[in-house]
Amino acid sequence: MWQTPLAMEKVSLYMVDVDAQQAAMTLACLAVMHPLESKAGEQDLQDYPAAPYFTVYHDLNSRFGKIAIYLKTPFKQPATTTGIVTLDELQRLDEQLKEIWARVSELEELTRRQNEKMNVTRQLSSSLQKFAALDLDLSRLRRRGRFLRIVVGSVPSVNFDQLKRALSLTNFMINRFYSSEGIDHVVVFGSSQQQEDVHDVLDSADFRGLNVPQEFSGSPSQLRADLNREIEQENKTLDELKGALTELLSRHMPDLQNAHDLLRLAGPYASLATVLRGKGGLVFLLGWVPAQRDQEIRKKLERDLKFPFHVEFSAPEQKEYDAVPSLLKKSWLLKPFQALVRNFGIPGYREVDPSGLFALSYIFMFGMMFGDIGHGAVIVLASLLLWKRFPGVTIVGVLAGISSIFFGFVYGSLFGYEHVVQPLWMSPMHDPIKILLVAVLWGASFILIANLLAIRNYIASGLPRQALFSGKGLAGLFFYLAAFFASYQLLANNRFTWLEGLLLLLPMAVILQFQWRQSSGGLIERLLVVLIEGLEHIISNVSGTLSFLRVAAFSLNHVALAAAVFAIAGMMDAFGHGITVILGNIFIIVLEGAIVAIQCLRLEYYEGFSRFFSGKGKAFEPLKIET
Amino acid sequence: MSGFSSEYLNTRLSIYASRLISFEQLVNFIQYDLERIIAAVQELTGHYYQLDGAKSNLIENQLTNRAMDDFLILIRPFSGSERRFFYFAIRWFELANLKVLIRGKFSGIESLKIKQELIDLGQFADLPIKKLLETDDPYEMLRLLETTPYAGIVRQARRMYEEHGNDLFLLDATIDRSFFIDLNQRARFLRDQDAQYVSRVMGGLLDRFNLLWLLRYRFSYGLSAAKSFYLLTTTGNKLYASELMRLAKMDSIEEVIAALPDPYRDLLANIGVIANMETVMEYYSLSIAANALHRKSNLLSRSFAYIMLREAEVRFLQALIKGKQLELDPELIEQAVGASS
Repeated sequence: MWQTPLAMEKVSLYMVDVDAQQAAMTLACLAVMHPLESKAGEQDLQDYPAAPYFTVYHDLNSRFGKIAIYLKTPFKQPATTTGIVTLDELQRLDEQLKEIWARVSELEELTRRQNEKMNVTRQLSSSLQKFAALDLDLSRLRRRGRFLRIVVGSVPSVNFDQLKRALSLTNFMINRFYSSEGIDHVVVFGSSQQQEDVHDVLDSADFRGLNVPQEFSGSPSQLRADLNREIEQENKTLDELKGALTELLSRHMPDLQNAHDLLRLAGPYASLATVLRGKGGLVFLLGWVPAQRDQEIRKKLERDLKFPFHVEFSAPEQKEYDAVPSLLKKSWLLKPFQALVRNFGIPGYREVDPSGLFALSYIFMFGMMFGDIGHGAVIVLASLLLWKRFPGVTIVGVLAGISSIFFGFVYGSLFGYEHVVQPLWMSPMHDPIKILLVAVLWGASFILIANLLAIRNYIASGLPRQALFSGKGLAGLFFYLAAFFASYQLLANNRFTWLEGLLLLLPMAVILQFQWRQSSGGLIERLLVVLIEGLEHIISNVSGTLSFLRVAAFSLNHVALAAAVFAIAGMMDAFGHGITVILGNIFIIVLEGAIVAIQCLRLEYYEGFSRFFSGKGKAFEPLKIET
Repeated sequence: MSGFSSEYLNTRLSIYASRLISFEQLVNFIQYDLERIIAAVQELTGHYYQLDGAKSNLIENQLTNRAMDDFLILIRPFSGSERRFFYFAIRWFELANLKVLIRGKFSGIESLKIKQELIDLGQFADLPIKKLLETDDPYEMLRLLETTPYAGIVRQARRMYEEHGNDLFLLDATIDRSFFIDLNQRARFLRDQDAQYVSRVMGGLLDRFNLLWLLRYRFSYGLSAAKSFYLLTTTGNKLYASELMRLAKMDSIEEVIAALPDPYRDLLANIGVIANMETVMEYYSLSIAANALHRKSNLLSRSFAYIMLREAEVRFLQALIKGKQLELDPELIEQAVGASS
């Protein structure tokens, strides 16, 4: 429950440049090293030997990604999982993929144009519906009259007004006869002498003319049939383009599979572009590794590298703690809870990983707020159904459900019925004050534990003054205990003497004095900051503790909701009663269950984590071969 | 917006307005060396800027980032259509990136060089810069751009490219035109009073665009009156559609200038070069914005005016700093920043 991230060591590896790629591959296979960018020795080792490799890799990877989107079949598992990919190989591959992509891009552009063309034809076809009622010979639209020229077509609606004004400068008129989906279908007519000017303006306005074929001399319905044939033809062209793309990709599938395999192997070395430094044939690599694996790393490097190398492992210094990545111990049970902790932040290297405590308190609170044997059992069963798709949800759901069942026995509640099972303790409604008191005591214990963890984290991070004198440190802990004691004396014994006052004032004075030393600025400014922070400390402790009243409130709410369901059901006949009880229980499980889950998370994050957990740690991201 | 929020915004705007650098001060900077310019900007604006010789666009990025930080504070009290309008107006800064990308790809410039010209807009950025830089040809980039909020603008740019080839000026004009049309459409969704005030500030900007591009289309590109008129954007304060149609039919720049309504006729009376007219028109439109910013009438129009003025200030300083970094002659810098007329 009190785990900390695994102990780390800084690894410094000096080697000959020809071995650098092999070293990257060896370390990637082990997946043990978190590479570290360091400015130390920057003047001596000015070169970044992996940078040119990265440039080619990056281009190649991006091009590969663009092509891969069009592939319908997944890649096969690579035959080799280890190996060195040279820069020349990458460059050759890049050239190959450049050609493939150029062809894919060309086909994509042709498809786009074809789609655009087809849309226009479709729109023209639908616009002809407006002519259908007229017995009009459309071939007249094709014939250029001696004085009058008529053009039919479509134009984007946004361009219509401006086009209308512009055409008036050429003595042409435009008339909208149908409008749909942002396209206006129009008739343009005017003097035959002005053709060039008009076409230029119409082109700019994205005007698409209705093409009346030479041989055509029929009615609108016949032209529409003609346009439909055109759409069919265009669809065929689209299919041909799709076919050409499929054929192209299947023809190049071996090349793409090769690119896929080589990119996997090239990834580790390319990712060291800004980390690996060198000069004159010597390269230097820095990183963090789990302390327990240093000998394994040394042995593997001795086995794989051709030339002599020098490797050093050293424990991190205190000043480096912020930079050390946190590798948390793996546990299938805690995995979903670790994910919820990560939502808040990653534990710092020397911080306690709160996942265990979080899991335990979350499950406990959920049960306390949602205690019901039947509802808990439904949650367990529903969660088990999700095992294959969402294993994390199942783990949290089953544990929360079991906790709910346990508290169901404690409260004597089964699907909201309070008199079927004998309670091990009592129903929350039986004595609400008692349950509220229990919630406050639970909250106080929770905050005290959080305070103790904060003190431990301060000490582990080398901050003894904060551990002793800050509001989250020992002084804060004493203040909280004193406040609790004073509240108890006042409420239970109606007593508040100099002793209680002194117990409160002493730790508060220490906290304020510490804050005074920490603050900077003018006298008034410092005074204000210290007073406000002191006040904020008192308020946050009080509000934090009272915040846990919701634990009791929701347990009461659960009973009250069930009572409301039974009251409604009581007004129905036997069938209606049954239906109401079933639906009411579903409503309680889904809605109240979700609210309780969120409220528990809120208490964990705001009343727990914010008191002891910085969440400013760095995730351990080892050099590895991507799958 | 609550009374408290509007008071807050009014105060903020007044503080920001007091930190804007005047045109006269900016012109004086031309004679300074780079370090002195940075020091003067820091003193006048209260923002700290870091110079790094190795990263040529570092200071340009910092200038934009500071502007974005201020806009982020200004945008907070707005909601609904006001917020959407404000957000869209800030896209003006991103248009510069869009132009750099389109120009760069159409001219076959290397991605690394294009990247150096781009400005980081932080959370106001809508363009997937990394993916766009990874495109291999202009059409691939256009296809990708058509999946962004700039799809409409890009479609127009594509059309212009297919019609007129790689004419960078025309591409720029097409992008600006589409942006102004979209901005004007968003202004229509504002409350009547807001829309009225905003259109006054925007009007000067639209007049400037329309007049200058009308002159260029007609007399530099030799386009017909109808096409020149069609390529203009939404109408502004003084130059209404009927006015522009009348001007489009004229046969010389002098004739157009003489037929302009006041104050444009007087402002442009003795200027023969379109580039110089652009400078004069820009300062006139900025003076309208400055008046709106200093008049405590309407919050949205004040905010929009501030965006306009800040954009001009950032653009001026970026051009000036670039000129200094390239060690250009002060006269050349004067021309580049538009301070010579």
